[in-house]
Amino acid sequence: MAVGEGKFQLYSFIDPPLQAGTYRFRTDQLLSADGATGNKGPTDLPVDQLDTFVRIRSPRYQLPPDQVMSTFPPANAEGSFGARLPQIVIKRRTLPWERDLAGQPSTTPWLALVLIAEGEAELKMNQPVGDCVTPGMVLDGIADSELGNYLSVRQSVIDKVFPTKKDVPLLAHAREVDINDTELMMGDDDGFLAVVVSNRLPVPARDADGNEVPVKYLACLVNLEGQFDVLIPEAPPQPPTFSILDIYETSVVDVAGWDHVVSGHTAEAINPINVEVAGGAPLAAQAGASVTKYTALSPSGAQAYQASAHWTLDDAVTVESNVYVEMAQGFTVAAGGYYAQLLDPVYRFPVLLHWSFTSVGDTTFKLLMEQVDSQLFGGLADPNRPTLADRQPAGGRPPIEVVETGHVGLPSRTRRGDEVRVWYRGPFVAHPTEDPPGGRLVLAHASDQLRIVVPDGREDLSLAAAFEIGRLLALSKPAIVGSLLRWRQSGYQAARSNTIWGGLDGLLGEFFGAVDGLTFDSSLAVRFGREFVKRAAGAPGELIGPPRALFDPGRSINVDGDAPQLLANGFGFGAEVLRGSTIQMLDGIRNTEVPVAGALLQGLDQGQINATLRDALDRTLTGLVSGTLAKEFIQHPVAGPTIPLGRRRAQPVADRLDELLDGGHFDERGTRLEDPR
Amino acid sequence: MKPDGTLIVHDLPVKLAIKATAIEIDNDDSDSAMPAELRNWLVRLRLLEAVPFANIVADSELLPEESIRWFYLDRRWTDAIVQGALSVGTVNTDDRIHLAANYDAIRDELDNEERNLRRVEGSNRYRGEGGPISGFLLRSRAVSGWPALHVRAFNVDPAEGDDAKFQEDDPRRMRLLRLERLAPAVLLCLFDGIPTVVHVEEPRQGVQFGFDTALENGQVAATLRPRDRNTFEYLGVPPIDVPFRAGGGAGVVDIQALERELAKHPETGATDTLDSGEYALQLVRFPYRQVFGEVVEDSIAMVFRPTVSYQTLSTLFLEVE
Repeated sequence: MAVGEGKFQLYSFIDPPLQAGTYRFRTDQLLSADGATGNKGPTDLPVDQLDTFVRIRSPRYQLPPDQVMSTFPPANAEGSFGARLPQIVIKRRTLPWERDLAGQPSTTPWLALVLIAEGEAELKMNQPVGDCVTPGMVLDGIADSELGNYLSVRQSVIDKVFPTKKDVPLLAHAREVDINDTELMMGDDDGFLAVVVSNRLPVPARDADGNEVPVKYLACLVNLEGQFDVLIPEAPPQPPTFSILDIYETSVVDVAGWDHVVSGHTAEAINPINVEVAGGAPLAAQAGASVTKYTALSPSGAQAYQASAHWTLDDAVTVESNVYVEMAQGFTVAAGGYYAQLLDPVYRFPVLLHWSFTSVGDTTFKLLMEQVDSQLFGGLADPNRPTLADRQPAGGRPPIEVVETGHVGLPSRTRRGDEVRVWYRGPFVAHPTEDPPGGRLVLAHASDQLRIVVPDGREDLSLAAAFEIGRLLALSKPAIVGSLLRWRQSGYQAARSNTIWGGLDGLLGEFFGAVDGLTFDSSLAVRFGREFVKRAAGAPGELIGPPRALFDPGRSINVDGDAPQLLANGFGFGAEVLRGSTIQMLDGIRNTEVPVAGALLQGLDQGQINATLRDALDRTLTGLVSGTLAKEFIQHPVAGPTIPLGRRRAQPVADRLDELLDGGHFDERGTRLEDPR
Repeated sequence: MKPDGTLIVHDLPVKLAIKATAIEIDNDDSDSAMPAELRNWLVRLRLLEAVPFANIVADSELLPEESIRWFYLDRRWTDAIVQGALSVGTVNTDDRIHLAANYDAIRDELDNEERNLRRVEGSNRYRGEGGPISGFLLRSRAVSGWPALHVRAFNVDPAEGDDAKFQEDDPRRMRLLRLERLAPAVLLCLFDGIPTVVHVEEPRQGVQFGFDTALENGQVAATLRPRDRNTFEYLGVPPIDVPFRAGGGAGVVDIQALERELAKHPETGATDTLDSGEYALQLVRFPYRQVFGEVVEDSIAMVFRPTVSYQTLSTLFLEVE
């Protein structure tokens, strides 16, 4: 049966079908048969008795962590829990009723959640389970683990802190929740859960001056098996208020304070003469009984809880146990002396689960939210308004300069070093901002573009500071800088080339077919070239031009003028030779002397010609060599470049260092040469 | 031909810079006018993520202890911070011209996308014109002592009253763009719009049991309002003073005495001996809900003035044996 959405049902208890323990199922089978040889009874057809042993296991000394749904207050939490009873939600719905307490109805749970303030009891970790109960007491049955934790607590503390016998049944109930209700975060399969509630409010403390003191509380889920009678049957009557100073401290109890226990007096008969008031704190004026039995809180007894920041990287098991050890700190101090041992016996209760938390402050959420100073941003606190905050007087500070628009005057140093005051306003403003004419803020490329001079002459650096913060935040993240630069490359550059090539759609479309699938990147040129070659080879006539003809037609000769005259000029003789009849022409040609070039060299002998030619060749050669081997020749100022010959002494070639040292380049005669560079 | 300087330096890049077209963004990882990773970061930047607190609240006196401050988000300021971030990617004039051409699309997209940051997984993306953003800064011990506060905003004053139940997808509910603790005791909340009523509720980490406590002359007194065991409604009787055990440790409740007190009211079911289910039912505590609403004043009716009132949330529970 599912409960409705947002609802849950409460059950006073859920009886387990079988309580924890070892069971034997004995099976007998009776056979009888009718047959040709007569009827046979069970004695004739015996079947062996079958014993099946079943063990119902249930946590006894250790509660497995996976059985814990939630705890409240959260473990190691610090907060104002003074109005809430600690509780633990257990996934196994029958767990609180799986074991019987001797002499109690099955509706009495064997578990109780007790809340121990610092100094009231001692928690021992990882003891053999045999030692986890009061010495002399033996719990029958099988233990679920080798080691367990136990709470060592005095009778006096049990009387004050533990639930009474009548309380215990009221502090455990079962709950069925709507498993679809994610609000309750209940992931259990059937939605049934068991809840054990504490009987004590984790109230905070105040020291003698009335300041709040954090109190560390330890919540222990204890096993009451066999020791239920240790609990007091019923609480004595009591006025409805309690002092928040009443943090109980075992260590200062002395014999005199417990005389009445020995002598059988009631608490009311004892005058509070032996109450130790450490730290001079006045006793809270309580009705008599509440004062006689315990001492007022000493400041040392309510030391501020120092949260530990230790962190270990052991393996998982060790870490887990370390967490529990750490949470037990402050509760592992043995208290009391010899007399206390005698008069105030110590009992041990197995602790299935424990967690600690710190209760600080008596402010509630309601109180805080009702007192909160609600204003528009830019409003200042009213010094006359009562508040829960600890207002520190602002020492040595000039009053804040804030105007109606939300701008704050701040000191600023300009780039020239002047100390000025500027206006600044963060992103939060008390009034809706109006966009400037023309829409939203125009894109700025530098923060200086956003500096504004307001009519009073000061600068308003709000937007410039915002710009700069954005720039610095972007620069502080290499991934964002990389993303911006990649965007610039892939986005801007691709957009540019797309635009440029987009204008050439016609040509490219003609060339590649459809342009749609084209990407304009560096591979475009290669693909363009390949496509071009392919097209050109496929239809050379279209793209390159018609193939060259196999032969070139002859060139027509233009003759302007008299043909025989032109011909005669070309051969170098008179035009009259070619005139007349064919016979006359042939005769004339035969008799005409052919002009030869040798006439130019008349008067020169062969030696002169050879010498002239050799000189010209030498000059050409020298010039050519000098141009090639710049360092290897001597630049003669008069004779021009000259190849160093064998008869001259080889000139050492100056290197760069020499040039630097000399400041120039000189030949052997000391003439400065042109810088070869 | 003599090259025209204006044409080359100014007109040509502007002509070549193309404006990004508006792209419907399907998921957080699809590129649009800008790469997705850049967009996701800029959206967070617009909601002031990682912005130094001193730049948000210039002086601590603007946010004293135990105060709540309501504000509008200055669009110009957030535009400026985005511009600053974008300026990192511009190296030369061409880049800036491209950025200028694309900036409108980028800004519109960020306007829209900042509403999708806290979107519930699997729901549709929000589209369309973005409105103004408002919010509050709460600096209080309520933030540090009660982690995971619930904040709910409505654009109309719900007719059901301040203590009604509201579904998560109630159309009157305004969406939260950001709800984050900037410091242990400072809570920043941004709404997509301008709310009329804001609820701040105690965390609902499971059902809790407890009493109403009050401080009187250095003493703590606790009271309990008895409930009807069948209807779960409060009885119209004065709250019962919770008795504490005589001589007990601080805060130890005397449950028998409490039972006797409850037995005076037969509706509680305590008359025929209280059982654990009935006891738990009496002790169930509901989260407190702080309601901030608008007080209509004729003189400055346009100004959003938050006020304080207090209600306790009640929900229907049943007790079944």
